[in-house]
Order: sequence, then C-alpha cells, then structure tokens
Amino acid sequence: METLLAIFTIFTQPQLLLLVGIGTFAGIYIGAIPGLSVTMAVSILISFTFSWDVYPAISLMVGIYMGGVYGGSRTAILLNIPGAPSAIATAMDGYPMAKRGEAGQAIGVTTVMSFFGGFIGILVLALAAPFVSDFALTFQPRDYMLLAILGILLVGSLSSGSLVKGIFAGAFGIAIGSVGRDPLTFTERLTFDLQIMQGGISFIAVMIGMFGVSEALLQLQNVDKVAVRQKISKIVPSFATMRKHLPLSLQTSTIGVIIGALPGTGGDIAALMAYDHAKRVTKNPERPFGEGAMEGLVAPETANNAAVGGAFIPMMTLGIPGDAVTAIMIGALFIHGLNPGPMLMIDQPDMFWFIVGALMTANVFMLIFGLTGIRIFTKIVEMPRSIIIPLIFLLSIVGAYAVNNAISDVYWMLGFGVLGFFMRHYGYPLGPVILGVILSRLLDDNWRRAIISEREDLGRFFEGIITSPLSLTLFTAVILIFVSQTPLWSAAKIRLFGKAST
Amino acid sequence: MYPKLIGALVALGLTATIATAQDYPSKEIQGIIQWGAGGSTDTVMRSVTPHAEDVLGGTVVMQNMTGAVGAIALNHVAGSTADGYTLLMGAENPMLYKVMGLGDKDYGEFIPINILARGTPILVANKDAPYDDYAGLMAYIAENPGEVRIGSTGPGGVPSVVTAMMNTVEGELDLIAVPYDGDGPALTALQGGAIDVMPAVLGAAIEGIRAGNIKPLAVFDLAPNSKLPDVPAVTSFNEAYSTYLPWGPFFGVFVPKGTPDDVVAKLSDAYATGARHPDFVELMDSRGFTLMSISGDEADAFLTKWQQGTAWLLHDAGLTKTSPEEFGIARPGE
Repeated sequence: METLLAIFTIFTQPQLLLLVGIGTFAGIYIGAIPGLSVTMAVSILISFTFSWDVYPAISLMVGIYMGGVYGGSRTAILLNIPGAPSAIATAMDGYPMAKRGEAGQAIGVTTVMSFFGGFIGILVLALAAPFVSDFALTFQPRDYMLLAILGILLVGSLSSGSLVKGIFAGAFGIAIGSVGRDPLTFTERLTFDLQIMQGGISFIAVMIGMFGVSEALLQLQNVDKVAVRQKISKIVPSFATMRKHLPLSLQTSTIGVIIGALPGTGGDIAALMAYDHAKRVTKNPERPFGEGAMEGLVAPETANNAAVGGAFIPMMTLGIPGDAVTAIMIGALFIHGLNPGPMLMIDQPDMFWFIVGALMTANVFMLIFGLTGIRIFTKIVEMPRSIIIPLIFLLSIVGAYAVNNAISDVYWMLGFGVLGFFMRHYGYPLGPVILGVILSRLLDDNWRRAIISEREDLGRFFEGIITSPLSLTLFTAVILIFVSQTPLWSAAKIRLFGKAST
Repeated sequence: MYPKLIGALVALGLTATIATAQDYPSKEIQGIIQWGAGGSTDTVMRSVTPHAEDVLGGTVVMQNMTGAVGAIALNHVAGSTADGYTLLMGAENPMLYKVMGLGDKDYGEFIPINILARGTPILVANKDAPYDDYAGLMAYIAENPGEVRIGSTGPGGVPSVVTAMMNTVEGELDLIAVPYDGDGPALTALQGGAIDVMPAVLGAAIEGIRAGNIKPLAVFDLAPNSKLPDVPAVTSFNEAYSTYLPWGPFFGVFVPKGTPDDVVAKLSDAYATGARHPDFVELMDSRGFTLMSISGDEADAFLTKWQQGTAWLLHDAGLTKTSPEEFGIARPGE
C-alpha cells in the first residue's frame, strides 16, 4: 500500500508537478515541429538532467514524451505536415477538416481523444503490466512478420481511388525503406555505389517532403485563393459526440497499447493500424474517410497516445524498451544509478508507481494545454498563402536538417517533395508510400529472421505458424483481410464511395 | 560536393579561432556518439563526459550520429578540423571496418584520448533450455545438430566474434545464427524463445540473469566475473580459449590525427579524471564493465593488439571480406 502511494509523490512536490507541466508544454511544441522528435529531445535531456535527482529528471522526460506524441497532430491538422510519424494517419482526415473551416473542432476532438487514449494506456500499465509484457514476449519473428503483412494490407484503405496506384505507392515505399546497408548482413542494397545512399534514406526526410513540400507546391498553384474562415465556436466536443465514439476509441486504444508494448513497434504503426480498423468497422461515417471523417481522427489519436503507456510496460517489467523513447529512458535510469530490468519492480516498486503518477499528470496537462490556445493556432490556417507557403518550406527544411544535422537529408526531403507533388497530380496516394517505408524493415528483417530460424525450410516455417495459436490468429486475419480486398469487393466499394464523394 | 564546400568554409572560419591551447576550450566542443541514444556507448559517454567537462572548464555537446555501423560518425569526425573541437565517441567496431568491407578508415586515423572501459562477453541461454552450463550446451549441440539457434548482431558484432572463437576452439559447430539489430533486441528474443543461446555483453544480460529470466552458461574470460561469481569462466571447460582471452568490446573517445599535442594532453587529462569519478566507477561496476582509462602509447598498443586478434579470428572463420594482410594487420604473434 505504501508503495502505491508513490503514485501521488508528484502532487506532494510542487517542483515535480511543475516539471511535468513544463515538459508537456515543451513536448507539444517539439512534437508539432516536423523533424524535432521526442526521441531527440529526451536524449538531449539526459545530459541536461545529469546532475539532477532521478525523480525530477524522469518527470520532465515523461512530460515531453506525452506532450510530443500528441503535438504531432497539430501541424498534421493545420498544415498537412505530420509533426511526428505517429501523426501521419491524423493528417488524412484532420487536414480535410481544416480545409472546411473546422480546424478548431478537429484539434478539440484530437485533444480529448488523445487524453482518452493516454488514459487507457496508463490504466493498462498500472493494472496489467506483467501480463501484457508476458504476452508481448511471445511474439516470434514470424509473428512480427505477419503483423507487418497485416500493416501492408492497409494500403487498400489508405489509397482513395485506384488500388493499383496504391499498391505501386506501397511497393515504392518498401523499396525506399530498404536502401542502404542491410542491417542484418551490412550488404549494400539499392545504393548504386553512391556514398549518399549508404546510410539509407531518412524516413523523416521522406515524410516531411512527401507531405510538407508537396502540399506547399500544390498550394502554389492557387496562391491568391482566400483561405477558409475557421469556425471556432465548438472546440470541445460535446458529450454526445464522445459517447458515440466510445466503442471505437476503446478498440483503437487496445490496439495502441498492444502495438506500443511490442518491442520494435511503436505509435506510428499503432496509429495507422487503428485508422484502418476504424475504416473497417465504421459502417456509416458522417463523411467519407479522407474527407474529414471524425472517426479518422479518433482512431489514430487514441491509439498513438495509448501506445505511450504501452511502451512503458516492457520497460518497467523487463527493462526492455517498447520504443525509441523508452530505450533512452532506460539509459537515463542507468545513469541515475538504477538498474532497469525485471528486478526493478521488485527492488524499487516506488519507481513504477511514480512513473504511473507522472504519466497520469502529464496526460491531464496535455488536455489543458491542448484545449487552450486553439484559437491562436487556427489563425495559422487563415493566414494568406503567400505567407504560409514559405513558412511550410522553412519548417520542412529546418525539420529535415535537424534529424541528423545532415544537409543531404534536406536534398532528399526536397527531392521527395517534388516527387510527391507529381504523384499527387497523377492520383498516386502518398499514405501508402510512408506506410511502406515504416513497415519495410519490420517485414524484411523478421521474414529473414523467421526463415533463417527454420533453416530456410518453408515446410517448417508453416508448421510453426499452424502450431502456434498467436501466429495462426494473425495468419487467419491476414487471409480474411486479403480476401475482403479482392478486386470484386473493392471495385464495389469504390463505385459506392466514389459516387458519394463527387 | 556541397558538404565538402561547406566543410571547407567552416574550416576556414575555424582557423581564425584556433589560437593556442592555453585558451582551449574557447567554445563548445562537439561530441559525436557513434551509436544510438540509450545504447551502451551512449550511456557510457553521457555519464563520463559531464565529469570531464568539470575538469576542462568547457561544454561538450553530445550528439548521436548513427548509421552504417558507426561509419558515418567516424567519417564525419575524420573529416573535421583536427583542433580538438570535434570528438568521436565510439566503440570497438571501427577496428573491423577495413576487413569487413565497411569503410576505408579506422581508429588508425585518430589519436585515442581515453579508452574508458572494456566489456566481458557472457554466453546466456533461455531459462527453459535443457542444458545448464557450457559443457551441457556442447553436448546438446553434438546430439542435436542444426537445432540450436544462436543470436547474432551481424558480422563484426560481439556475438559473431564469440561464435567465431567457439568454432575455432571447439571445431565447426552446427548452429543457426539468427541476426538481430543489437544485443537488446536479441536478448528480448532469447527471453521469448525465438533464439536459444546468445553471446552478449555481461552488462546487458546481468539484470535478466539476476531475475532468473535468462540462464548464464559461461563467462568468456580467464576467470569468473566479480558481478557473477557463480558463473564459471569458459576456460574452465576448455583451456584452448585462453589463446583469445581476455577479449571484449570497448568504448573510447578519439580525436583526428593532427590535433595539437597540448589539446590532446588537456582532453586526456580531463577524461582520465572524469573516469576516476566515483559515480562513473560505480556505474561501470554495476554494469559489469572493466574500467580501463588508458591513453597514449598504452591505448595505441591495446588497439593494435585488439585489431590483430579479432581481425584474424574473423578471417579464419571465413567472415571477412578482405584479408587483414591487405591492410598490413599482422597475425598476432608474428
């Protein structure tokens, strides 16, 4: 019981409360700027907080993490540039809403739903951490591979219009993801013996270019068009809206927690999977997906914030990071003289409850900071295009450079921006390209691990799938989703939705 | 083309600021960490550098520059001005770049400021494995050829060297080597049963061992480690290992060759003092690293010996792209 009280440590020390608040506030803005990532911020903080006590250091990091995951949605909604990879899905319906003058409403829903997702994630962390981490450990390479295939099948739901173009875009993304030295054997792939290709293509540069620059280029075509006036009357979603989306948000939060808890997958994949799930289960959205459906915001935003709690599960119970940020936090705990690992929960249970408390507080701060100042933010969209377009370029260039402090990333970003512009012009969806890049490594590495583990014997590989309940479930899901996307079915769907949207 | 141009411009600007070492450091020092945030190299560098900063009286801004097994960071620092304002904070890998075909530079282009610590490899197994020590594993492999999955982190990584050692000492073992991104993910896979055994760095495995989630088989050293006194040294099972041991990955801070001697001396002194700080000593101890803190000729000798032994071991196991001979790396003892 006494250890449980550690959950309230944060409230008894105003200094800690303040640090969580500052962290969350800073996190929202770091998350909102493409290229400035939470991972980067937290790793800088390690040196910065070196001489501090462990509680204040962790408070600040937790705040930044929670705020940053949410902050990515800001620029995604307002400018169609996801501030972080986990906000890619948010841009798909958030930006169309902003174009209709509903940016305020979109941010409102996003904030409340992020809070809800974050809350579910923390709840699972607090109540079922050992159970979930045991489950996450049972994922074998073949299961990760099946999960990646499941992700690849999202191409269907991320591409509005031609499925063939969507598949092309997805395959292109996978190819981009495999450029550089192959991480398993260090053999060069698709590098054409060029020095610049050896390190691979920065995924963030591709994302910023494809979304940011191509959007700016597209807007250049009608610079003089007057921006849509933003309605800012109903920012906080009504209780009825919340209740309506409750079942969906519970489902997508669950997806978020599990994907977040799996070592090797994080909020970005969780958000995309949740988006796809929403598209599948929502029978009659008020508006079609991709044109400003509320469900298209609810799903990814609950999932990516639920993934935060999820990522802490293996970290706290086993000392295994759930994603890149928790990996750094484990390093921070080491430096502060703790030994993160399976014994941490037993040796220092206070630490666990303290983190739960800090996360909870950060979540509340996120709600407060998220809902205030929306009015000022929506003004961004109302700015004249002659101001906003150069601003997008500036933000994109700074963001791409900041990832690795490499000028070559800026060139990649601009190149992909131009490519993205032409792809949009010819009706190639950009979502699947990013999806391909994200999933490329997961699919490639785990397929090879799985088949190497079975002595490169396909028979043994399938035997493994059939004898494991988890693999069999994932395999069945892959088959079912694949069948539901057969040409006949999708043709019918396109005809149905195509009419509704034009 | 452009990066070179910019580099040249920056260099031009810097020459103006290089005065004497008397006022070194007169501006921020960049510390380029070869590996990602949260990893072993990162943890070691971020915990020793603040103590070194106190001695230096300047700021070291640390930045992770990952990619191509650390070669990107190495090339970056090698191409920077040799004025002591750009430090390379790396691990052992660059000593194998040449033979593995990963690059044409290694620490030969650098002056070691301080080789801080050395890790000890340990062979660990899934907790449900049907063997309890090294001898049991060897017997099991003999009875079940091609069934045991061993974790690896790609060519040149700690597991590949330890596996090469095992193959050399015990004769070719019929194992399945499954590659992972690093020892963290591989140890996770070990606990989940995706792999059966894994040669890891002691510090990375110790918490899992303490909790009973993974089973230690043998320490790859000449004597048991004080952190895990109950785990036998591998030499107690097979004396032949003593030819190659002690061996382990290491961490060090480097500057490009050509850096003024007095700057090198100042940095070496700062890091040597930093490495003696009780907090750092304790961190190294709790993670099972052996503190070295060597510099100058001693460090050069260590690097040469390490490179000779490891490069030839990998070459004899058929894992290298180019023979060490090509690069003038002599076979140990010759």
